[in-house]
Amino acid sequence: MENSDTPPLRKPSRTFLGKLFDVLSGFGLATITLLLLGLLTWFATLEQIDHGLYPTLKKYFHWQSVFILPEINGKTVWLPLLSGYWVGAILLVNLILGGVIRIRKGWSHAGNLISHFGIIFMLIAGGVAHHFSERGNMAVGEGESSNTAEDYFEFVVELTEIKENQPGLITVIRGDQINDLEAGKTRIFRLPEFPFDLEIGGYLVNAQPVSTFERAPDRQQQQADLYYLMEKPSEVNAEANNAACYVRILYRDGTKSDPFILAGASFHPFSVRIDERVFTVDMRKRLWPMPFTVHLDKFIADFHPGTSKPAKFISEVTRIDNNTETKVTIQMNEPMRYQGLTFFQASYGPPGAGPGEKMFTVFEVVHNPSDHWPEYSLYIVSFGMLITFMQKLIPHITSASRKKRHV
Amino acid sequence: MKIPATVLLASALFLASCEEKKELTITETREATTRDKSPKLFATSDERFRDAKPSPVQGTTPESWLALPASQFRLLNYRFGESGMGEVWVSLSAGTVLDNANRWLGQFNATKLDAAGLNTLPTVTLAGVSGKWVTAAGNYDAGMGGPTKPGFALAGVVALVDGQILTLKAVGPKAELEANQPVLESFAQSLHMIE
Repeated sequence: MENSDTPPLRKPSRTFLGKLFDVLSGFGLATITLLLLGLLTWFATLEQIDHGLYPTLKKYFHWQSVFILPEINGKTVWLPLLSGYWVGAILLVNLILGGVIRIRKGWSHAGNLISHFGIIFMLIAGGVAHHFSERGNMAVGEGESSNTAEDYFEFVVELTEIKENQPGLITVIRGDQINDLEAGKTRIFRLPEFPFDLEIGGYLVNAQPVSTFERAPDRQQQQADLYYLMEKPSEVNAEANNAACYVRILYRDGTKSDPFILAGASFHPFSVRIDERVFTVDMRKRLWPMPFTVHLDKFIADFHPGTSKPAKFISEVTRIDNNTETKVTIQMNEPMRYQGLTFFQASYGPPGAGPGEKMFTVFEVVHNPSDHWPEYSLYIVSFGMLITFMQKLIPHITSASRKKRHV
Repeated sequence: MKIPATVLLASALFLASCEEKKELTITETREATTRDKSPKLFATSDERFRDAKPSPVQGTTPESWLALPASQFRLLNYRFGESGMGEVWVSLSAGTVLDNANRWLGQFNATKLDAAGLNTLPTVTLAGVSGKWVTAAGNYDAGMGGPTKPGFALAGVVALVDGQILTLKAVGPKAELEANQPVLESFAQSLHMIE
């Protein structure tokens, strides 16, 4: 019987950190994040129809995107959502705190724990792929070789000294170092190996150099050598964008050159002569040297009868690595994996080529450190679920057969 | 209190890292690959951005004309006249001699010709071939969203040269164009195709 003089027992109040832990490790947060991921995926699927896959992925799932407003059929949906990357990060924290730390321990819960580890591993795989994967394409003609892939989207500025008409070691200014330099912004790039530096600005995601004789500037665009950059809307297929910018040479004596244009759409580089030395400055999609060479021995395209539409296409290649040659066949769903790189059969050309015409193959080249991690995580999750299932099934069967014997 | 101080310090560090960098030192390099062929050095802007190649047709530029860079549609390109509004250019066109003559006439809202009418036009030698001399005057509407220019005139030659339609077209203020017609005829005769 309760003594009226004894004060009722009170639970000690949770500290702020304790309450935070409860929220971050709770089922509620897990449910919310999973629902948000589903909603984001649905909106992104609809929006990429109008805006293209790459810009939509960047808007919805890039780490630099924090809050987004979805858009359907060109109309903004006034529902601010946390972007997919950060929802995934919160889910990861939730799984670690709730699914591993807070979860009841013991052999009876081992299966759940293992499954949670598997899902955590999958989320980490996604993060690693997001931050560290590279992808590009490599086009090779029949009978030709290539040791270089080209990035799909990133434009870089490259400089080199020309000796005996050949380029030397090429210095690279990466895309993320220049793509924030819109109109009015400039940045100085110090080049210790060169007798000059560069000042770059006026970066445009998609632009065409236009002669002032062909079309007069309409927005007081900066001019360089009677040309200016005409900005164009970003392409739905972002690979078709051609970036451009304005550049000045900064000489060591403190003087500056007149501005000149660098453009992804240019046919030739800009040349500089200093003290009998010749240098080139160019803008292009980032080249990605491969550690081996791929020679296209034969490209086989089977066409649907009476059409120039391919039913399937197969590349028979020779991989040349340190004088060692290996024959490999690359086709749809059968990529070549070697030295951490994966070569997928992506497409072919020239566009509209039909039977009997000389063709080239195009591989998508991917370097993803977590390439197989999603596969491994599925094995881990399956193993954990199997344990949980067996832990339920075996006692159930045992109990059922005991009941039968006692009947 | 500790928590607010920690938050302030973290915010300061975060903001400092977000500050735009005005200078960067670049050290990243790569080796040349099969894609880095011997570059064309000291290319002009025309060569860099339009891969401009030598014109397949050349002529003797009149002294009073200002030579301009070629463009996508103008193999040879000039200005004449004190106003600076007179333009002359040489192009290769699609269609037939009659199509091109009528397109020019249409830009002045002039009566279009049929085959019989085309035959009545004067002939002028263009790149060694007999071409049709086309003239018009009035309000010039080049199309493509540009403004209509009143008081303009046109004179030009259209000819079939080596299986291609070669055109020499001059457009400008009427008085200036009429003053340049002898120069235009002489220039037409100086034109020749490059092998």
